[in-house]
Amino acid sequence: MQDSDIQARLAALREQYAERLGHDLQTLMAQARELAARQRTVEPEALESLRHGLHRIAGSAGTFGYPALGREAREMELWVQTVLETSVAPTSPMLTTLHDRLSGSYRLLEDSAKTTVGEPQSDFELVSGERSVRIAILAEGDTQVLLQSLSGFGYDCRGLSQVEEGHEWQPDVVIIDTSNLEPEVWQARIAEVPGAMRVLISDDGSFEARLQAVRGGAQGFFTHPLDVPSLERHLRQLVSLPQQDPYRVLIVDDDLELAEHFRLTLKGAGIESRVITAPRDVLRGLRDFVPDLALIDINMPGCSGPELARLIRFDDDWLRIPLVYLSAESDVQRQAQALAQAGDDFLVKPIADVALVAAVTARAQRSRQLSQALACDGLTGLIKHPAIKELIEIEQSRTQRSGAEACVVMIDIDRFKSINDTYGHGTGDYVIRLLANLLRQRLRRVDHIGRYGGEEFVAVLPACSLENAREAIERIRESFAQMECVAGKEVFHVTFSAGVASTLDWTDAGALLEAADRAMYDAKQGGRDQVRVARAASP
Amino acid sequence: MKPLQRILHVEDDISIQEVAKVALEIVGGFEVRSCDDGQSAISCADDWQPDLVLLDVMMPGIDGPTTLTRLREQASTQSIPVIFMTAKVQPSEIEHYRAIGALDVVIKPFDPMTLSTQLREIWERSHAG
Repeated sequence: MQDSDIQARLAALREQYAERLGHDLQTLMAQARELAARQRTVEPEALESLRHGLHRIAGSAGTFGYPALGREAREMELWVQTVLETSVAPTSPMLTTLHDRLSGSYRLLEDSAKTTVGEPQSDFELVSGERSVRIAILAEGDTQVLLQSLSGFGYDCRGLSQVEEGHEWQPDVVIIDTSNLEPEVWQARIAEVPGAMRVLISDDGSFEARLQAVRGGAQGFFTHPLDVPSLERHLRQLVSLPQQDPYRVLIVDDDLELAEHFRLTLKGAGIESRVITAPRDVLRGLRDFVPDLALIDINMPGCSGPELARLIRFDDDWLRIPLVYLSAESDVQRQAQALAQAGDDFLVKPIADVALVAAVTARAQRSRQLSQALACDGLTGLIKHPAIKELIEIEQSRTQRSGAEACVVMIDIDRFKSINDTYGHGTGDYVIRLLANLLRQRLRRVDHIGRYGGEEFVAVLPACSLENAREAIERIRESFAQMECVAGKEVFHVTFSAGVASTLDWTDAGALLEAADRAMYDAKQGGRDQVRVARAASP
Repeated sequence: MKPLQRILHVEDDISIQEVAKVALEIVGGFEVRSCDDGQSAISCADDWQPDLVLLDVMMPGIDGPTTLTRLREQASTQSIPVIFMTAKVQPSEIEHYRAIGALDVVIKPFDPMTLSTQLREIWERSHAG
């Protein structure tokens, strides 16, 4: 089933839920009001019923896209629970406060219903759907020029003045050239598209101007003369900000209870971790789990933390992973000695949960940013050859465990050499970026897209059947063939050929990739500009 | 390792039941049956023999932990793994559920787009080690 269908199903459920939630909140409000008005003592059963209602909302609202309401309900639930546990009868003012909080929640629900009428949630919509990224531009005089150059990269661009409130076309990004506009004017215009990310262009590149932009919520800042390719690169980063997978932490500690405590604490903050109690299992743990960071106990029997860290550092694959020691060692001298051997930092036990989460998050984030930058191709921002091969292997073994199907697609631009020969390498690069952008915009967020070689691309589509993969690539092929490529005054069209193979037919990552490659070759032989599916040899 | 295929979801809140069904069947590709309460879960687990029971902690009638105990007393359901779902996030409480035999705990509210992945990871972790 298509991702958009899933979103539609979820949206329908969300709508149903909102209706019920409104009803539930009104019931709870009525209960609270009734209790507040009562003269006699409030019996525990009545409070228990309130608590149960709040508990339900606390556990469900977030799932349906109302996280703030869920948190609010959770706080109220805890309050009622405290009252129940202390067996001090709540006073009338206390219950009135509860009622007011409930009606605040109800208003919150009504407000959000107004702003999201019939619209799917924007964070699901962006990039993953079957549409281009939308950009609105406000640049006194230069709007048309900017509009054309960005449209050439495959974005759906309009002048900001054409965007109407309540209209279906709302921008994902708004670009404002502030140089010829009064602040009041562009600020007012920008406020009309609150959902869009903001990029400012200015004449003034001073620190103050940049600070002003940051405070105005800008996510990008460029100065004149405008370098369109670097603006485009920035847009690419903005819109493809991947829905972050949770950070992954490998915990190496022989104290299982403490390690489990760390795991649960991190889990509460949305960080995944795996515990390893025997140092000798660490290499396998790294290989299987591919963490963003490793937390290593400094004192373990058989192998000390620094020894283990040095052992991990033998392998270049794990260079990017910060190794952080956990230790009861507060002696600065001895900490320094450990760090001099290997490892990146110290966390001293006992450590507060909040501190642990903060320390781990900051380092894991940095580690991930670095590895993403290292693994990405400079021209397209796509994943490089070795990294995408690794991803295919990960996906392959994942599907073998889960029994689900994933597909690998090999794509090659047709007659690329003649484009280079005819229009020059600059144009060749532009065509490669054009296709990279199209793939990024059209495929789902969970898909991995890599640049495999010169004009070759690979996409890995998890949880996707062969037929769905073929259809998706077929649609992208059609769009690509229709795109107008511009080289100076000339306009030309480019096509690609693609081959698709499924993990159900090939159980080895290398063979899977070869099969997709062969299918792509068949597509070339069959006349190019087509998608072929790799069929498993009949048994 | 046996792949995770059949999941029995036990939850008294019908909205959550429905969204979990979409999350597990459509997003995750699992086979799913839903029960409203512990009692029907115990007989359904006996009948249908799911690979996994996803069990809400707080339910009217017999609650999640009691349902788990009953499942363990019944020979046909004795070894079916159970994952709890709860809106409580105290580490000590989660620890307790694990101690009484749950594979792991899924915290509510869950994200329908990632619930299946979460279950698969728990499944793989428990079979790895």
